[in-house]
Amino acid sequence: MERKQLAPGVHITTLEADKFNRCRIAIHLRFPARRDTATLDAVLTQVLERGYAACPDMTALSRKLAGLYGADLGVELSGAGIDRVLSADICGIKDAYALAGENLTDAYADIVFGTVFEPYLVDGVFDAEAVRIETETQSLRLQAELNAKRLYCVRQARRKFYGDSPAGIELGGYPDELSAVTPEALKAEYDRILRQSRIDVMVQGTDAERVAEKLLRRLDGVPRDPQEPGALVAMPRTPLRRYTEKLPGLTQAKLCMLFTTGSADNVPTVSALRVAMNLLGGASTSRLFMNVREKQSLCYYCGAAAHRATGAMMIDSGVEPGKVMQAEAAMLAEWEGLKKGPITQEEMDDCRSGLLSGMDALEDSLSALEGWYYGQILRGEPLYPPAYGKVLTSAVTIDEVRRVLEQYSYSVGYVVTARPGTEGKGTPDEE
Amino acid sequence: MRNNTANPASSAVGCQSVTLPSGLRVICRTMPGYSSVHGFYAADFGSVHRQFTLDGRTVTLPAGTAHFMEHKMCETAAGDTFALYAKTGASANAFTGYDRTCYVFSATEKIDENLDILLGQVGKPWFTKASIAKEQGIIAQEIKMYDDSPDWRLLNALFRGLYRAHPLREDIAGTVQSIAEITPPLLYDCAKAFYAPENMVLSVAGKITLGQAVEACKRNGLYRARKNHAVAWDIPAETGAIPQREQHFTMPVNRPCFGVAYREPPLEKGDLKRELLLAMLSDLICGGLTEFYRKLYDTSLVNPGFSGDCVTAPGACCVAFTGESEQPRQVVALLQQEIERLRRDGIDPEIFRLVKNQMYGETLGSMEQPDEAAEDAADACLKGRTLAEEIEALAALTVQDADALLRTALREETRAYVQIDPAEDGD
Repeated sequence: MERKQLAPGVHITTLEADKFNRCRIAIHLRFPARRDTATLDAVLTQVLERGYAACPDMTALSRKLAGLYGADLGVELSGAGIDRVLSADICGIKDAYALAGENLTDAYADIVFGTVFEPYLVDGVFDAEAVRIETETQSLRLQAELNAKRLYCVRQARRKFYGDSPAGIELGGYPDELSAVTPEALKAEYDRILRQSRIDVMVQGTDAERVAEKLLRRLDGVPRDPQEPGALVAMPRTPLRRYTEKLPGLTQAKLCMLFTTGSADNVPTVSALRVAMNLLGGASTSRLFMNVREKQSLCYYCGAAAHRATGAMMIDSGVEPGKVMQAEAAMLAEWEGLKKGPITQEEMDDCRSGLLSGMDALEDSLSALEGWYYGQILRGEPLYPPAYGKVLTSAVTIDEVRRVLEQYSYSVGYVVTARPGTEGKGTPDEE
Repeated sequence: MRNNTANPASSAVGCQSVTLPSGLRVICRTMPGYSSVHGFYAADFGSVHRQFTLDGRTVTLPAGTAHFMEHKMCETAAGDTFALYAKTGASANAFTGYDRTCYVFSATEKIDENLDILLGQVGKPWFTKASIAKEQGIIAQEIKMYDDSPDWRLLNALFRGLYRAHPLREDIAGTVQSIAEITPPLLYDCAKAFYAPENMVLSVAGKITLGQAVEACKRNGLYRARKNHAVAWDIPAETGAIPQREQHFTMPVNRPCFGVAYREPPLEKGDLKRELLLAMLSDLICGGLTEFYRKLYDTSLVNPGFSGDCVTAPGACCVAFTGESEQPRQVVALLQQEIERLRRDGIDPEIFRLVKNQMYGETLGSMEQPDEAAEDAADACLKGRTLAEEIEALAALTVQDADALLRTALREETRAYVQIDPAEDGD
């Protein structure tokens, strides 16, 4: 593994990938999130994925990728604390497997960099037709949020938890702002992203020098002013706020509990957070799984996760509508139990062994390995391999785990449940 | 022992395999340089197996029995298998499909111990009334979770529209009522009938050898020939008119969800060519490479989730298209028009070539992941073939083959339609 700076705010990281059939190139642009451009960012991601100057047509691009033996191109927007990351990646079989001896890897680099740096423009702005279509499609996506009930509950809880904080800016944008998305506004936001972003290219299984050369050629002449990564944040502690949303025809209630550290000081290490979450609800041996699901049969799923950059911890679960309070109390009791009750060394070892094994397995997946290193880049850590991650994880103590869990206070409880009298209604048999 | 790497085209998907004297089929893809091992142990027993004879006695199962059994197999007399895996650092899971039940682990250490847990959990069934009662509560929550999934409800409703009696009509997990009928004797009957070595496949991939997997089978009493129970089952294909051409219902969704499915004749055993063509069909008609998809997408008639898939099970085969749309009937009408156009004018040879290329690349890609490699190899084995044979069959397909299939497939008279509308306050 090697990370090199190519220009201010531009790095390339090369990862070993000899054993794989495929190679992969990913480019990440990290930039400050803004409330007023959130909707533009969401639509821009979709417009970029449709095509680029040398291949502006969406169907033609799909065919081009299929011709490259089903190479997979992805463009996505994700959050990193109060920043956004616009990523494009391409993964396809290595040249050695091409049936007709084609140079596939050059084509991969051209497509992924074309997508990010050479968008299809008409009169200096994005193609109006593409913008119209993708704005409508984004509207459909936002409308469809309700269909996935678990995710819907989590998002509703997040909205209450983060409120107007920069950490709560919607990744998908805001439905009532879609009508203001124009080709010109999109181009202005695209230019801002190129100017302000810290750029990282991750290369696996292809010639990094050649990729670097292609990248620098594309960046030549692009005005650049890379911004410092956003600071860590945390929502203030508040008395518990509970919300219940009743939907007609729902069968299973969803419960999302959000906790805050209240302060961005004393942020725990990633290793301590990983162990703590695994003990609480991140694995099939966790307290939540073993006690709330297996012993008390209160839910089918029940998991815990933490978001270090925003000081948040989440427990979400699918429960019987009449047993929400019972399930909530049981989950809180497990959290309390870990903070104040006994934790055996055996439980720690069991929890840790799963994490260690998972770190070994990272080396067997191109995308997982890339995610491991880019995660460190996002956190501003010096890069270290999964093997060193194992050393750090092994060093986490029971006291550290308790300190991590004690930092949180329960802030928002959001329940999505059935409107009384409508539970599970609407099956064809009943009509 | 077979080494399935006959030619360069199939070398990238090569595996070793052996059938033990017990009848257990063992497959291994050794992957040099890898750290992890994925173990995949599958029984040829799924939700559609609802009736069989065991040593001449007829056994009828409530809906959801195979899935229930999968949950119970994760609990042994020695304790929960997840707890056992925790000691080795493995991650484990299990799942049930229409025609199979699968148990898996991924690990980087203590591989022999993990294999012993995997083979032991299934080899020593342990069912009590109390543990069954506990599981009924957990599975009831799982059923209810899927009840709130429009995609799942849509698919199940389509099956009910296409089939009058085929067990595909019932949800894989059954219902809260049906699983309440499950008893320890029923589960023991299933274990005798379907969890015998000759009805199972062990597939491993990653940092492991075939010899290591075979040794694990020996340690767990799965090597030697044994006297098996006489088991027979049959799920006949349905003919005649489809029972329910249209269904409508409401759910908490924001936009209408719709599905359209065509009942096709079930696959003959070994008919790999037709199976591959059926798998390609939806991509050829409305995949991202087609002008037809583009037209639907650009006019916002469908969202990017619109897609098609082929579902096969013993005695059943259908091709289903599902999506969300404000004008679902218009989409279905346009889809049928496009099918008729392709039937009349033929499939674009270039699209056919690209879809084939794509499938080749995806197969190659999946073989570099131990989990996908083990699962794909087991899947092929359960169907009586190897991945190398699949690659060769794919390479041999022509656009004329696809045209020939389309001459008889996706007929309007075999079509069922389901629409889910947003629930209003009064619903």
